[in-house]
Amino acid sequence: MTYVIALVLGVFFGFSLNKAGLTKYNKIVNVFRLNDLAVLKFMMTALVVAMIGLYGLKGLGLVAFPAVPTTYVVGNIVGGLIFGIGMALAGYCPGTCVAGSGEGKLDYLIPGLLGFLTGAVLYGLTYQQVFPKISAIANYGDVILPDLWHINPYLAVLVFTIMALLLFYLIDRAGLQRKKK
Amino acid sequence: MKWLIKQIRKEEWSPYVAGVLLGIVGILTVVLSQSLLGASGGFENLAAYIGKAIDPKNMYFNYVMPAGITFPVVLLVGVFFGGMLGALSSGTFKFRTMDDEQWKQALGKQTWKRWLLLFIGAIILEYAAGIAGGCTSGLAISGGMLLVPAAFLFIVGMFASGIVTALIIYGKKY
Repeated sequence: MTYVIALVLGVFFGFSLNKAGLTKYNKIVNVFRLNDLAVLKFMMTALVVAMIGLYGLKGLGLVAFPAVPTTYVVGNIVGGLIFGIGMALAGYCPGTCVAGSGEGKLDYLIPGLLGFLTGAVLYGLTYQQVFPKISAIANYGDVILPDLWHINPYLAVLVFTIMALLLFYLIDRAGLQRKKK
Repeated sequence: MKWLIKQIRKEEWSPYVAGVLLGIVGILTVVLSQSLLGASGGFENLAAYIGKAIDPKNMYFNYVMPAGITFPVVLLVGVFFGGMLGALSSGTFKFRTMDDEQWKQALGKQTWKRWLLLFIGAIILEYAAGIAGGCTSGLAISGGMLLVPAAFLFIVGMFASGIVTALIIYGKKY
């Protein structure tokens, strides 16, 4: 049953990546060139929708949060910095490569998937030399911002949502102005 | 109804609409399976089969990310078919290489070069996801939706170096 759930969730996940256009090189790289922010809009929308839904359900006592990703400041940032290089170079990330493979993109299906597997093997083999050291620096454990900063979680969600909506508004207004020129 | 089907079959949706769909999937993942969406972890479970063959006593592939057809692996299989379904719905499914005009202009028309760069790029991405504790889906989106600080640190790092990398690649055409 778990497999069926995972499969169905994965299908909708891949479907949304396809429809958002994230399986295209130009979509991904252009967000870093700041001339097509669809990737940012897509990510932030998903984030806000899921955030409101999950914090709401948790407040009603209908759901408990699963184990959250661990915060270790230096490792999270350094990982992000290296990740950004790969993403701007190749124009995909692990999830969009898999979805793009399903669309028939052989560039993703063959060198792409082989590359991710190779990267995972290399990471596993060097894990002990790298991870324990970097994850020990400024490690806050499995924490969420409302607990870390002692703020009301619903207020945090509200502030985040308003910030995201403001961002969308500014992006779209800038886009319209660019079109007028 | 006809209108709805026409909208669904469009090759590209508004990123807001597609984002709402992904957000709902993110909620359902927590509700139905007590886990988070992710992509890089699945590759690690699969890589463990190879990693253990190379180094049978390897700590990581024995204890941290053991080999197996796990939830993240099945999720990846689903993502594959989801991409396929999306492409079929808009009639864009086709086995193809070198299908991006912008890539050709920026990085050249040679297929071998694209394959090499995609291969290297994938290694960088997967290794970085290991260090960071997840990728765009498993850390940025799944962590961000729960207001996990790690997610926002990762997003800042990713955009900072992504912008610099794009600047270097595109130079004057940035």
